[in-house]
Amino acid sequence: MKRNVLILLTALLLTGFPSCVERQDFDQYDALAVTPTVEASLLYIEAPERVINQISGTDFVQQIFNFDAFAEDFVSENLLDGVVRYQVENTTSKPLELTFELLDEGGNTLDTEAFSIDAAPTPLLVREIAYGPGGRSIDIIRNTSSIRVTARNLGDNTSTSSLPDPMVVLRSSAQFRIRLK
Amino acid sequence: MRQGSCLILLACLCLYPLRGQNKALLYDFTEIPQSLLINPGAQTSLNWYAGVPLLSGFSFQAGSSGITVDDIFAADGLDINDKVRQRAVYGMTRRDELSGAVQLEILSGGFRSGRRPSDFYSFGTYLEGDAIGYWPQDLAILAWEGNANQYGRKFDLGHLKTRGELTQVFHFGINRQVSSGFTIGARAKIYSGILHFNSSRNQGYFLTQEGQNNLVANTLSAQMALRTSGLDALYDIVRDETLDRTSATVQYLRKRALFGGDLGLGIDLGFSRQIGEQWWLTASLLDLGFMMHTSPRNFYLEGTATVEGVEVILPDALADPNRDFWQDLVDEVEALVPFTEDNRNYVSFRPTKFYSSLRYDFGEPVSGGSGAACDCDITPGGRQDVLSYRNALGAQLYAINRPRGPQGALSVFYLRRVGRWLAVKAAYTADKFTMTNLGLGVQFRAGPVQLYLMGDNLLGYRNVADSHYASFQFGLNILSSEAN
Repeated sequence: MKRNVLILLTALLLTGFPSCVERQDFDQYDALAVTPTVEASLLYIEAPERVINQISGTDFVQQIFNFDAFAEDFVSENLLDGVVRYQVENTTSKPLELTFELLDEGGNTLDTEAFSIDAAPTPLLVREIAYGPGGRSIDIIRNTSSIRVTARNLGDNTSTSSLPDPMVVLRSSAQFRIRLK
Repeated sequence: MRQGSCLILLACLCLYPLRGQNKALLYDFTEIPQSLLINPGAQTSLNWYAGVPLLSGFSFQAGSSGITVDDIFAADGLDINDKVRQRAVYGMTRRDELSGAVQLEILSGGFRSGRRPSDFYSFGTYLEGDAIGYWPQDLAILAWEGNANQYGRKFDLGHLKTRGELTQVFHFGINRQVSSGFTIGARAKIYSGILHFNSSRNQGYFLTQEGQNNLVANTLSAQMALRTSGLDALYDIVRDETLDRTSATVQYLRKRALFGGDLGLGIDLGFSRQIGEQWWLTASLLDLGFMMHTSPRNFYLEGTATVEGVEVILPDALADPNRDFWQDLVDEVEALVPFTEDNRNYVSFRPTKFYSSLRYDFGEPVSGGSGAACDCDITPGGRQDVLSYRNALGAQLYAINRPRGPQGALSVFYLRRVGRWLAVKAAYTADKFTMTNLGLGVQFRAGPVQLYLMGDNLLGYRNVADSHYASFQFGLNILSSEAN
């Protein structure tokens, strides 16, 4: 009988095993920072030399492009910092000047990036602009609603490059760090 | 005997890497009527039983195979960001899961047939909830790191797998003792589906690579679907501020639990077979069934699109000076990868479970009329004489069908009967969640009143926050067995 009681007591003690919890600090959650860096292309502009030659005047492109990617509430509120990368390739026979302007919703210029590139043959022009701590204000990106691109022909309207399929190409991409938490 | 052992061993070897959650302690604990719910072919000596409504059977299980609360929130002075990165984002894989199950018996009862004493009928209804979510490894890395500087890496959208349901089950089972060494059983089930969701057959990827024209190309290729039933109307109720939302929610759930929602059919099968003088082989297959979901709302994301930013190619781009290139891009992507929804009915299959055990009974056998002192003072057999023993030792196997394929668990157990008033079962289980799962179950009887209490992974209670698995069951029955 004693043995049976012992088994019962042991069983009850074990099934009602006293539970413990080591000290947890749930306030740590506030310090959790989920900040991925996202990367995507922004704008690609391609202008063949024959089109440049056909347009009278020096500005062969002057256009405002709506660009609402940064204007989304979630993006603008959670942008931390980032880099915009430009690449200009000129295989035409003309020296060119390109201006890249970031505009706010009212059409005001927030930031300007100008590129002067010699006639071909000329190397790729690459530039990276940092925004956020250590760079230009991240508010520029947060408030950007559109992009104005101006391309100016600093040469003539008759010459033709000897390179195949001559054109000027503007490529751009961005890497931005966003706070998800 | 040898064949049976070989079969069990082979099954163990095949299923060992799979693992899962189960009711190892209740299985083959034949003193408890609810063991018939896990094996309708279990041996039973009951004449009748009645579960105390709402108290006859409650079980709860929760498991996390990857990390614990303690891994992230322990007050250890480490940076939580380092802990999340190392232990969750890069420490877990797509096979890790967070799962839970709960079962509450509403009504339960059983009786032995007067005309055919070898038959025992059991019936009742219980509420069952079950959910599982696998760790979406690639999506977690994408959310943590982003896609920058990850050229060529395909983030697999198929890592998103989850399913869950809340179901009211009505059942009726027959347990027949074919001979003293062989018992079979079957249980028919009607499922009244309350809530259901399933997103388990996703495919596709998100890829970042060097662009053909521009600097970067982002590609989304998705074949994803989320099927839900019952959730849509519940969501409307919860959002409707003109309603008494609590009572409206209860009313809605009650209606769906009583055949006002999805309907399904299923069956359980099981047997217990004596394969040697003191050896028994048992097995059961549960929830072989399906459910037709008739109040669905399904969501789909299907298609492929590659984006290289806004593209302006002269001279075509100059044709319309008012053209909105950004909106064109958005429209194009939405056309290529449309997000759609529909209300098409669908069928889901129940998470089928499999149990099996090989049991060795020992101690002195009960012999007809023997009053000699021996280690064999109870009689849990059927209508025909079945030698029974005070001790049992054995191994159990469990498997469940999950979205990533079957998961299994292997247990070894020891059962000790102390008189008629107490039986204790201890088990060690190795499964996906822990390799140190020691569990204990107790059945205590005082006259016709039976109380049972079971807990798994007792070692985890040393620090609950660091436990990968918690499971307990309890119940209260009024019963009468042959020896009463």
